Amino acid sequence: MLRTERLDAYYGLFQALFGLTFEVKPGETVALIGSNGAGKSTLLRSIVGSVRARPDGVLLDGRPVGGDPERKQLDRGIALVPEGRRLFPSLTVRENLQLAMRNGRKGPWTIERLMKEFPVMEAFQHRPATALSGGQQQLVALSRALVCNPSYLLCDEISLGLSPVAVNEVYELLGRARSDGLAVVLVEQNVKRALSESDRFYCIQKGRVVLEGTSEHADHAQVAQAYFGI
Amino acid sequence: MNSIAWMDGARPRKAGRAAVGVAVLVVLGALALAPWFTSFATQRLLVEVFTVFSMALAWNLLAGYGGLVVVGHQMFVGVGAYALFALSNRLGINPWLMLPLAAAATALFALLSALPMFRLSGAHFAVGTWVLAEMLRILTLNSEWLGAGGGMPLEALGSFDRWTRNAGVYWSALITGVGALFVARLMLRGKLGLALMSVRDSEAAAAASGVSIQRAKLALWVIAGSITGLAGAVAYMNTLQVTPDATFSLNWSAAAIFIAVLGGIGTLEGPILGTILYFLLRESFATYGSWYFIGLGSLAIATMVFAPGGAWSLVTRRWAIDPFGVRRDMPRR
Amino acid sequence: MRTMRKLPKPILESDMQAFIETIAGGLMLGALYALFGLGLSLSLGVMKMINIAHGDLIVLGAYLCSTVMQALGVGPFLSLLAVVPMMFVIGYVLQRVLLNRVVGRGALSPLLLTFGLSIVVQNVLQEVYTADTRSLQAGEFALQGFDLGGVSIGLLPLASTLISVAIFAGTSWLIGHSHLGRQARAVADDPGTARLVGVNDRNFFALVTGFVLAVIALASVMYGIRTPFSPTAGPERLLYSFEAVVLGGLGNVWGTFVGGLIIGVAQLLGAKVSSGLGPFFGHLVFLIALLARPQGIFGKGSR
Repeated sequence: MLRTERLDAYYGLFQALFGLTFEVKPGETVALIGSNGAGKSTLLRSIVGSVRARPDGVLLDGRPVGGDPERKQLDRGIALVPEGRRLFPSLTVRENLQLAMRNGRKGPWTIERLMKEFPVMEAFQHRPATALSGGQQQLVALSRALVCNPSYLLCDEISLGLSPVAVNEVYELLGRARSDGLAVVLVEQNVKRALSESDRFYCIQKGRVVLEGTSEHADHAQVAQAYFGI
Repeated sequence: MNSIAWMDGARPRKAGRAAVGVAVLVVLGALALAPWFTSFATQRLLVEVFTVFSMALAWNLLAGYGGLVVVGHQMFVGVGAYALFALSNRLGINPWLMLPLAAAATALFALLSALPMFRLSGAHFAVGTWVLAEMLRILTLNSEWLGAGGGMPLEALGSFDRWTRNAGVYWSALITGVGALFVARLMLRGKLGLALMSVRDSEAAAAASGVSIQRAKLALWVIAGSITGLAGAVAYMNTLQVTPDATFSLNWSAAAIFIAVLGGIGTLEGPILGTILYFLLRESFATYGSWYFIGLGSLAIATMVFAPGGAWSLVTRRWAIDPFGVRRDMPRR
Repeated sequence: MRTMRKLPKPILESDMQAFIETIAGGLMLGALYALFGLGLSLSLGVMKMINIAHGDLIVLGAYLCSTVMQALGVGPFLSLLAVVPMMFVIGYVLQRVLLNRVVGRGALSPLLLTFGLSIVVQNVLQEVYTADTRSLQAGEFALQGFDLGGVSIGLLPLASTLISVAIFAGTSWLIGHSHLGRQARAVADDPGTARLVGVNDRNFFALVTGFVLAVIALASVMYGIRTPFSPTAGPERLLYSFEAVVLGGLGNVWGTFVGGLIIGVAQLLGAKVSSGLGPFFGHLVFLIALLARPQGIFGKGSR
């Protein structure tokens, strides 16, 4: 189980997270809902090692792993699909995946499997990664994290700026990964999507958890209140 | 946290301000009277101190407030010195009267050099200025009319007696040093300073607010260049001979950089502190030859690693003071 | 200044042949400058910093070769077997211990730090080796040449050109087709995301700098045979390296090669015009090219 324990996070002098506690169990999908600037991205980045955290602020199966760099977290099976996709323009699609795969863990998710599951990716594998549509880039970004064979996949706004069709494709891929037993943390501004795709949810506001529960039984009025802070 | 410290210090500061002002005047007065009670050797050293300080101050203005890091600072020194010598020798006029012209010549040079140089930025700009300085050195080395390798003496100075000559050069240096500080502070607290600081904080926002970034940088470039050129001219009045290898030597940049780094880039107090430190070190250890330079280089490295804000940053970490009122944080970009 | 090695060939009569000879010599000199610039290009691309001590490290390499040659009684090229690994280690440690602390802190910190480093290296060399100039003895090989259609080609310049081309080709291949190359391109694009996909940038940067110094070692041996060097010869090498990189366009490996060739040719043509002005013409060509096309020949867009 991956959990954060009263996690604080700072950008310089600015505090972004205030004693945030949340958890993800193996195989489950958790949604983090909140408006812009609520701290959702910061939380993911603190877990994965891009933002400094206390060692016992992040616990993996009870062990303190906070503050370690990204490649260590990757070794432990925690991978992040960053906000804005952030593919490498100087590399082709295939090279983006090769780079990640070589640095990641061995497992069922390989480049060949992705090409088979998504023939469209095979078609554009030798194109520069940023010479693709937004939806295609998101698929590649998601794949890049998958080929590291993580146990916990952190997804930051993967539907942002995409057409509904593209969003479906992205969640299709995510669904296949989840059926393999992958645990997913979904940061989504689209509340409906977030709730429909997750088992549990947390509402984050100004760096704190203000509401949590099971997605199936989520009270939409309550969630809206937590989201907008009314 | 900081604001409370400032507030507490405000009241005593007002009274303290007057005391500091009086102290400064006393010191300046003493310095002005130096030719009458110090030796020629001391005066020559002080000339070096004031001129190198001016050059370091100018370098610091460029790097700390304008984002223009220069490794070819010696080009201004050389242009100023050679302009003074050439004009004075050619026209046979009192060199002290030619000093403003030397500064003007350097200003013109700065203006022209901006054309190629401003095409570069960052570290490329830095090395680009070095290339330009090298070109000037080689050109001068091969110019017979400038004395080529042997250089030129300052002939007109021969007509003055030793005391007058030394005193004159000393006062020129003092005026240059104090003047540079004065100009720098005036500039930074004025429109240009605000423009530059806004550019440092956010170039995009500054441009959107109508700040002409190019104009601001160009103005800074010309001012800093002129100060350095003037200082160079005075420095060489002290040595009486210009040669290409010496006037266009990287050592001028090295001194300016060390002083700015050791003292603190982006502050006006930094160069003062840095110059004092630099000359203290030099007078104490220069006899050790290469080891002195190894030590100096290592000190610069250590400063960049552990205290990028220089010695002044160590002072302000302890006490929240801002004598010149133009604090500038170490550029984070 | 440079000494032109006189080759044991009949002195050419025609102006045209002399001109071609100068061009050929310039190209071969340029290939060496290109090799100087390759290291700078890599550290600029991957770590976004200019190492002001770059030229001094070239001179350090030459001095190391000299010491190894004396200690083991071998020729310059054999000494490389020891010097290349030594320089790799020096580069790795330098980056790991010192330069990694200032990477990403903007352009100012690395520049000033390496400026201090340059002073240190020059003066350490001065202490250890004195200020006298020396060169690497390559024996007969350095003086041999052959005739190609009336134009005399020195064996040593030719060999260094071929070595330079080989290293450029090898590096280009590495960048395009190896895991290291992918990492390099990724880090150059986006260091933060590169870390996300598992790149250990602290170690990687050190590897790159180690590689850079190994390349410098190869360049320095050919430089040392060709030109007498002294502890203060570094800064000039840095300027030529820099000009090659900027002329060719940043982020383009073969661009640096072409840039180097241009500087080499410009210098030799300039020296023909007036013997003291060789480097000056290199600087002039650089400046004019900068005014005409600031992004370099193969550079993408404006900087």
